[in-house]
Amino acid sequence: MLVVKDASKRYGDFTALQQINLEFNTGLYGLLAPNGAGKTTLIKMLATLITPSEGEIQYNGKNILEMDEQYRELLGFLPQQFGYYKNFSPKQYMLYLAALKGIGKKEALHKINELLDKVALSDVVNKKMKKFSGGMIQRVGIAQALLNDPKILILDEPTAGLDPKERARFRHLLTELARDRLVIISTHIVSDIESIANEVIMIKNKQLLYKDSVEEICATLNGNVFETTIDFESLKAFRKKFVLLSEKQEYGKIIVRFIHKGVPEVEWISVPPQLEDVFLYEYRDEIEGEV
Amino acid sequence: MMLIILNECKKALTSPILIGLFIVFSAFNVFVIISSSDHKEELKMLNEIIDQYGRDITDNSLNRFESDIQIDLAKLNRMTASEFTSVYDFLDGLRFEDQEKYSDEQWLFIHRLQLKEMYLNMAKSIDESYEAMDIKKMGEAEIEKYLLSGNAAETLLHEYEKLSERFEEMVNNGEHKEWFFAGKAYFMHSFLFKTVFLHIIIESLLLIVLTTSLITTYEFESKTHLVAYSTKRGRKLMKDKLFASLAIATTIIVFLFAITLGTFFSVFDYSHVWKTSISSAFNWEYNFPYVAWWDLSVGTFLIGVIALVFIVLLLFVGLTFAISIAVKNSYISFFLIAAVFVLLWLLPSFMPTSSTLLFVFAYTLPTLLLAIRYSFMGSSGLILFENFEWMTMSCWTIITIVVGFMSYKRFLKIDIH
Amino acid sequence: MRMLWNEVKKIFMWKMMLLLLFINSILYFLLIEFHIDSFPNGSGLYSYNVGVEMVDKYGATMDEEEFIDFKKMYEAKVEETNRYLQSREDFVAEGIDTYDKFTAYDWWNPSQEARALRDDVFLGNKIDLFWELQERHGLIEFHNRRKRVPDVLSDKERQRFEQLIEEEKFGVYTDLVIQNFKSFIANVGVAILFSVVLVISSTIIKDRSRGLLLLQYTSKKGRNLFKTKLLAGYIATFIIITSLLAVYFSVYSLNRTSMFFKVRVNTFIANESWFDPTFFQFIMICVAAIYLIGFIFATLSMVFSSRVPNMVSLIGIQIPFVVGFLIFGLNPLLPNMILIWTPKWLAPMSYGLMILLSALIVIFLWKREKKMDILQ
Repeated sequence: MLVVKDASKRYGDFTALQQINLEFNTGLYGLLAPNGAGKTTLIKMLATLITPSEGEIQYNGKNILEMDEQYRELLGFLPQQFGYYKNFSPKQYMLYLAALKGIGKKEALHKINELLDKVALSDVVNKKMKKFSGGMIQRVGIAQALLNDPKILILDEPTAGLDPKERARFRHLLTELARDRLVIISTHIVSDIESIANEVIMIKNKQLLYKDSVEEICATLNGNVFETTIDFESLKAFRKKFVLLSEKQEYGKIIVRFIHKGVPEVEWISVPPQLEDVFLYEYRDEIEGEV
Repeated sequence: MMLIILNECKKALTSPILIGLFIVFSAFNVFVIISSSDHKEELKMLNEIIDQYGRDITDNSLNRFESDIQIDLAKLNRMTASEFTSVYDFLDGLRFEDQEKYSDEQWLFIHRLQLKEMYLNMAKSIDESYEAMDIKKMGEAEIEKYLLSGNAAETLLHEYEKLSERFEEMVNNGEHKEWFFAGKAYFMHSFLFKTVFLHIIIESLLLIVLTTSLITTYEFESKTHLVAYSTKRGRKLMKDKLFASLAIATTIIVFLFAITLGTFFSVFDYSHVWKTSISSAFNWEYNFPYVAWWDLSVGTFLIGVIALVFIVLLLFVGLTFAISIAVKNSYISFFLIAAVFVLLWLLPSFMPTSSTLLFVFAYTLPTLLLAIRYSFMGSSGLILFENFEWMTMSCWTIITIVVGFMSYKRFLKIDIH
Repeated sequence: MRMLWNEVKKIFMWKMMLLLLFINSILYFLLIEFHIDSFPNGSGLYSYNVGVEMVDKYGATMDEEEFIDFKKMYEAKVEETNRYLQSREDFVAEGIDTYDKFTAYDWWNPSQEARALRDDVFLGNKIDLFWELQERHGLIEFHNRRKRVPDVLSDKERQRFEQLIEEEKFGVYTDLVIQNFKSFIANVGVAILFSVVLVISSTIIKDRSRGLLLLQYTSKKGRNLFKTKLLAGYIATFIIITSLLAVYFSVYSLNRTSMFFKVRVNTFIANESWFDPTFFQFIMICVAAIYLIGFIFATLSMVFSSRVPNMVSLIGIQIPFVVGFLIFGLNPLLPNMILIWTPKWLAPMSYGLMILLSALIVIFLWKREKKMDILQ
């Protein structure tokens, strides 16, 4: 069991994370937040890359920094962007990392073939990586994270650069993996985790907002999400009045999905809230700020 | 356009280490100049001489000079109550314990007299020493020294014949009969144009190569190349980078020259010798005086040399640019440029001593830079050729432009990963 | 072990090795070739030959008796020269019919004929006897002055001079060989210093700037890899120095100076030293010093490599250190480190201090690396 206890991270005056408390067990956790919310900071703390300014992180009751290599031995990590040697082949590269992960060469070779097969790279095993596409590099990254058969698998934006087919395949892989280990996926793409995450963690304003199952999180907006059809002309006024979740054109009119917490009007249709709705609602200021 | 160039310049100007290096270099130059300025007061004697007797050394002025020295000698004789015909007689016969017999003021007088006599004796011996010089024989001696034969020997002899004519012309003009700081005593020409200039040259080169390769490879090393070279400006950005590098190089050169030469000329008073010919008989440090191919004054020579150095350094910006684009790695570029610099300098020593290639391959920028004190000179051994400077410059300007252009053209087409 | 091997392999990239080879060939021609090709050179040849003959005949040292024998040889050669001079009518006509008269001649104001004759024996016909005699004469002169102590000396220097005289350790053999070696080893030191800095500087910064640390430091090995990288850097330094020394010393063997190996350094002329190793031992000391210099600068390179933001800064910041060392440190710390004109403890103290500093910096660096936030 992985526990984050009162962890904060500050860089001088700037606070990146404040007083985070979390508990992870076996299963798949989705870490959902817009860019800049402190997602990567949390991930990097879990990966021992940065130390909390306050608080600590424990695995089975022991501080992970004190556990040192005992902890990292259990860890599989895929950073958002990671370095590789251009003139290495995936096999050479993974052999190199296998050595760092303390895996014997024979065992590693076997494992590497298996994993590269799993991420559909078996026909480029010995090609130099400098000619690889972004998606291929990303798949090498996924494969390397699994090299040591980790008990804790942390993936930072793992689906970046993957096409829809690869994405679907990847989701399968994750569900399978999460059966007997802890998998943490950070993403801002809701559909990546909506259907597979046991729990979703949301961070807002450097602090923990939700840590719950998808259903429970969605339930917070039960009865507040509506859809209705309006004219183009009234769209502007509508936007000012309500929190819009999506707009869809149909037959010259617009179907809008929005949130309202008071008494609904008659022509509105109440719809079940989706994770995406919660995301858009909670981060509405930040998202509008971004645009 | 201007904005892009300015932004490129910023990449070099905001590197604290490069700025630190510039400061260290400037401080070192100032230190070198100040720490070898013990004789700066003595040099002023020459300015007095020029004030009193004019810049040209004529029989008339020498006579006046000599009679003034006779007066001083008489004073010395009164002071010491003896009959010296030269201050050197007095100094030679001086015993250690007698030194205290004279006051500081008297010693000052004696030292001044000593300097005056030195200049007078040197001036008086000019005609004799110049008559004894046989330029063609010197050519033969060079041939023997470097074991030249065949074409090489012939070419060199031919050039020495030309030099011999120039030498005669110079002697007839009396270019050599102008006052300058005694070379054999102070080595001011070497100090300025070898020690000080070489410091400036090497330091500028280091800074220029570093900044140019930094700017040129910046996008590749900070992984912004995909974004930068797909913008509207696109790969033409390299052109801006070249201009930015040239601008930065110019800044570096100007400031380094200003600081270093500013210190030099405020320590050493050259105000009276600007117009003295660089071929002055006093500008004679080793076996042979400096003899220029043209009638150049010290001031003109200085400006000429600065211009030469400036252009050559800018050419190095071009060469670094060409190599950096091709290599796309500033680290390797730097060491390659350093290696190429030395290689070009060594080239002549790989040539057969019977072939004129020996001279042709000396027409390189490193040779020009490292022998900068011999610029425009006929008295410079195997690179004495009259056309050495302008040929080297024009050839290498062409080479640099061609290489730079080819490298740039290639860059426009290569795949960027 | 496998990790160490991986890191070492990463340092020896073939591109880097090509550059290393290229730069070393240039440095060879720039710095070293002269001391091999031109040894012994000009009159040095006679100096060398006489030196070899002396070592063959008298061994590593020369006692008084042996010197008397040497003088006798000189007399014999003079006789031979006399006979030669007398056989040349032109010399006899000038009144120079013995070698004594030849040396006593007023060469400052020679007659035309005399000057021509002298040029003839030294340059034109190159009569070996004259060159050789000059050399032998010089050696005897030195021997005659062997008990003289220079005027301006510090107390310690004077003591050492007096001690040497007391122990009868005089400079009797030609300084040519040891001076040649000193120039050679100093320049080899320069070439090796450049080579080490060239190869080692770029090691740590490469993984850093590529963002490899994220993966490296989250693996089981974790941040301990930094230590492995340092160790790999030192191993690479060792390999570079050893192979370059092997190459350069095999070139040096062309100078054929091995007969002097057992001669002690104080037995060479003008080479009074604080300690008295044999020439061979001195070579070994210099080799050790080169290793030290290499390791110290490798440390410096790795320190900068793990701190600076980019390659250009990496070069820029090392320039003052390398150039400063070449200007101020190289001679007193390498070829002249035991010479009497270098303070006795300067070299050991400097090396000790530099090693200590390097160790401290490495420890500091490791402490920092262990705790540092890895942001990129």
